[in-house]
Amino acid sequence: MAAALTLEIVPAVIAGGASARVDKHVAPRFRVGDRVRMRNINLPTHTRQPGYIKGKVGTVEQDYGVFVFPDAHAHGIHGKEQHCYNVRFTASELWGVTASDRDTVRVDVFDDYMDPV
Amino acid sequence: MAQHHGNPRESDPAIRTEALESLLVEKGLVDRSAMDAVVDLFENKIGPRNGARVIARAWVDPAFKSRLLTDGTDAIKELGFSGLQGEDMVVVENTPSVHNVIVCTLCSCYPWPTLGLPPVWYKSAPYRARVVSEPRSVLKEFGLELPESVEVRVWDTTAELRYLVLPERPEGTELMSEEQLALLVTRDSMIGVSKALSSPTK
Amino acid sequence: MNGIHDLGGMHGFGLIKSEKNEPVFHADWERRVMALFPATFLFAGYTVDEFRHCIENMGAAGYLESSYYEHWLHVYEEILDKRGFVTRAEMDKRIAEILNGEK
Repeated sequence: MAAALTLEIVPAVIAGGASARVDKHVAPRFRVGDRVRMRNINLPTHTRQPGYIKGKVGTVEQDYGVFVFPDAHAHGIHGKEQHCYNVRFTASELWGVTASDRDTVRVDVFDDYMDPV
Repeated sequence: MAQHHGNPRESDPAIRTEALESLLVEKGLVDRSAMDAVVDLFENKIGPRNGARVIARAWVDPAFKSRLLTDGTDAIKELGFSGLQGEDMVVVENTPSVHNVIVCTLCSCYPWPTLGLPPVWYKSAPYRARVVSEPRSVLKEFGLELPESVEVRVWDTTAELRYLVLPERPEGTELMSEEQLALLVTRDSMIGVSKALSSPTK
Repeated sequence: MNGIHDLGGMHGFGLIKSEKNEPVFHADWERRVMALFPATFLFAGYTVDEFRHCIENMGAAGYLESSYYEHWLHVYEEILDKRGFVTRAEMDKRIAEILNGEK
């Protein structure tokens, strides 16, 4: 049996990588400028929604396009590709009135992580 | 057989690694020379000097800078850097009114092709826990204090986009060559926990 | 999952310790563990998402007390055993052989 990673292909594997972007048309649920509230997801399965944004309100700043959906992909479930967006939260929205009004946190969030406000 | 010093135990990661690699090699599933080549790439070839070249180019070439901020992946690929954990790059620019800093609170996501493998502190609990909620206190620990008029913008790498900070070009560097400028760009300035150097370190 | 890895905003971790001129790897086993990622990824059929979720499930105390590359090592042991490539029994046997100086 030959190893899958051979010496000859190492440079191509490292320089090529494995993008999670998917070349598939999936309708986005949101547009740049939309106000969004993060869903209260508390499943024991994998998610890339960090706890500190649950229930918080932000603004969609960028639509990065269609990507593999990690929450499903971690469990071998395919076909859930969807848009990934960059959402802006103010520090005070996340951390309360004692936090800065100017400073912000930008989080990459999937369609299934949020609802319109 | 490797030398084991002290009192090695079953839980010792060095022992477990040796066991795992030897079994995988015997089963023909991994090739040691291929693994050695991967190590060499990340220990000696791929590192923040790559990112520094991208930044220096952006400082001297406004058209490149514009491409870099519009499509980080393609612009970075122009300089020959691409691949594993950098397949979808976003470059964020520091300005007099915005200071960017990158983290992965959930694990350790980091742009390998431009910065190499991340330092221990970036992957550590204190950094991941604190930089999203008290970024100014974290930056102060790194020696950087910013006025209240500057927006500190923390990017949490929660998906497969990988972020790189384009630091501000320091004052008084107008006559420097691109190679000299690259020497001012530190890894920490491309993560965003410091600014670029104003003169090269000795 | 609401696991220990979900660290954003948590308190009580203290100052950030950074090492000056930190080497890429702190021990030879770390080099091997790092290289095992592309080496196993290409044949074992796991995704980075499964990889991360495996670390998230390693237990809160273990997660915080072990080092970064020990997290990766945990994943290989779990995933390769689950898929039958390298079983726990084979690992235990080989570890004992190494400790006895037989290998």
